[in-house]
Amino acid sequence: MTELIERAESAPETETIELSMQQAINRALRTLLAEDPRVLLFGEDVGALGGVFRVSDGLQKEFGDQRVFDTPLAESAIMGMAVGLAMNGWRPVPELQFDGFAYPAIDQIVNQVARMNYRTRGAAPMPITLRLPSFGGIQAPEHHGESLEALFAHTPGLKVVAPSDPGEAYSLLLQSVRSDDPVVYMEPKACYWDRRPVRLSEPTDPIGTSRVVRPGRHATLVAWGAMVHRCLQVAELAAEDGVELEVLDLRWLKPIDAAGLAASVARTKRAVVVHEAPLTAGLGAEVSSLITEQCFRDLAAPVQRVTGFDVPYPAGPLEHQYLPTIDRVLFAVQRTLEY
Amino acid sequence: MTTNPVGDVTMSYVDLLPEAPGEAVPVLLLHGFGSDFQMNWGSTGWVRDLEAVGRRVIGPDLRGHGASDKPTESAFYLPEHFVSDLVDLLDRLGLERVDVVGYSMGSRLAWELALTAPERVRRLVLGGFGPDNALAGVEEGVPGEGDTPFDQVYRTVVGLPGNDADALAACALGQAARPFTPEPRPEGVPILFAAGAKDPVAAGVEGLAEAIGATFVEVPKRDHVNAVSSRAFRRAVIDFLEVDADEA
Amino acid sequence: MAEENITFSLPDLGEGLVEATVLEWQVEVGERIGRNDPLVEVETTKSAVVIPSPESGVVAGLHAEEEQVVPVGAPLVTFTVERKDGPQAGIVGRVPTEEAAPRRRVRLKPPTD
Repeated sequence: MTELIERAESAPETETIELSMQQAINRALRTLLAEDPRVLLFGEDVGALGGVFRVSDGLQKEFGDQRVFDTPLAESAIMGMAVGLAMNGWRPVPELQFDGFAYPAIDQIVNQVARMNYRTRGAAPMPITLRLPSFGGIQAPEHHGESLEALFAHTPGLKVVAPSDPGEAYSLLLQSVRSDDPVVYMEPKACYWDRRPVRLSEPTDPIGTSRVVRPGRHATLVAWGAMVHRCLQVAELAAEDGVELEVLDLRWLKPIDAAGLAASVARTKRAVVVHEAPLTAGLGAEVSSLITEQCFRDLAAPVQRVTGFDVPYPAGPLEHQYLPTIDRVLFAVQRTLEY
Repeated sequence: MTTNPVGDVTMSYVDLLPEAPGEAVPVLLLHGFGSDFQMNWGSTGWVRDLEAVGRRVIGPDLRGHGASDKPTESAFYLPEHFVSDLVDLLDRLGLERVDVVGYSMGSRLAWELALTAPERVRRLVLGGFGPDNALAGVEEGVPGEGDTPFDQVYRTVVGLPGNDADALAACALGQAARPFTPEPRPEGVPILFAAGAKDPVAAGVEGLAEAIGATFVEVPKRDHVNAVSSRAFRRAVIDFLEVDADEA
Repeated sequence: MAEENITFSLPDLGEGLVEATVLEWQVEVGERIGRNDPLVEVETTKSAVVIPSPESGVVAGLHAEEEQVVPVGAPLVTFTVERKDGPQAGIVGRVPTEEAAPRRRVRLKPPTD
């Protein structure tokens, strides 16, 4: 379906520029709105204000309030509207303002968005990309720091992705919106202001692939979103001790790149999964299981998990006690090395 | 919430602790007729000023007002009923002594509280209040239909959101049954009177203050309604309350 | 630090009120004021209120005299406020700060295999 749309004018820049993730996502949205008149952007404060994180800044001005618009404060209605629009041939890109506010829309997401294609035997695909500012790290109040990836990954019919840097955010969003399947696009809030030189490029890797962001030979750290940067910090410190850690950015949380995990851990023989979400029934369990099933004979130690705790996400000032710290990750690495 | 034995009238209140709780005496704020705690003391800058000097603020909505119960019979509104509500509240909060600031009807009740339980009141401020009977003529005729200062106040407040006209009328009647008398004076309690220079409700307050050995502060250019929020008024009261506030 | 002028207008005071009288300014031009500090005392037909300052900054201009009647929405005061250089957080939360040198306590021993 998407292939029918011309992309001539919206060809992204090829030079390297410095952008924050919020700016990169803004560029991607602009590219998508320009290339496909069926793309619609909407949510709470998405239009006139340009988003509480400025992610849709200027887009209503550029594309008009028929394509970029504000909705009432009603998450279930936002997603229900996306379903109706998708059934009528649009490519909705709804935003739910914060992770914790996705809960009121769970019925629409799970019972309609995820199943409609299946239910209609392919007659009504749901090319919806749900943009969801996600995860913690910005000392926000309750409901503003949750990690819902396990919930969405557990829902058949949804794809789930979480970028970790501006360049990735750009190409993964293009890929998500152009996909005919519903995608939950989880934007790591802690990375929004992270500026780095990026080359905005068309997606090259298929959906469901991971990427090695730092090669190493002693153990693999698996992470997504802001935790990729935590793992890169840890890898840098481990190098001081002569330990070479590989950091694998999983990025697609459904489908998970089982082959990519296996390829990395078969070499390093040790793995530590790091995520912000609570431990129990978190996505780390799935990753650990995939590694164990594929690399059982190669593993030198059981797969370790470093995660948030099994408690409600804490108030802002306590956040650093909850999110995986450098020492907790290092300690887990040491456990795999000493096993 | 505290309750009064007379018909179990429930009184709502707020208890606002300063950011750095210390030894300073808490301040009980009593609002005027037809008003409530938030309107009389909250939006007028008093709570902020008192918190700034480290005072805990106890702010009831008096019976018949705000979020408190609003019986519509005057028998529920004798001054002693209000006093009983307030003493109950102080007991419940475990407060032995407080500074009391009243405005208008709240001053009348603050006076009554200090008379009934002088040991509970360290310092007393009576704002927008004077020796004339503010409720003169209430017992004759329908409230708000005459031309007395009270009728004017009644007409202003009766339309405010949340107010119950019948309860306010009953409240006025109940209190009219016990007109204010300057004798006896609350024993051993330093008193400050403060009123707008153009406040008809407080006419004669200067003489009253002199007669009972109290201090009087005039709030320049203000009337009964707009004296409450005056910075000069707030400052004078806080200076008065700050005397030895940490030693009680 | 960049400076920016922000003008604050008389807010909607509710209850269908359309205007208010400025009773007394609680600040002077040139004075520094903190957010939520008392700004101005105004009176409506229903009551007198103290409006707290919506900004921290220096008072650059007062747009009404005392005793002047101001309609809702008319400019009341202009502040000069300082804006931090660098990224601004959204309406919710804070920009995470990068630790210059990440601290650690755990040391690793390389594997022998």
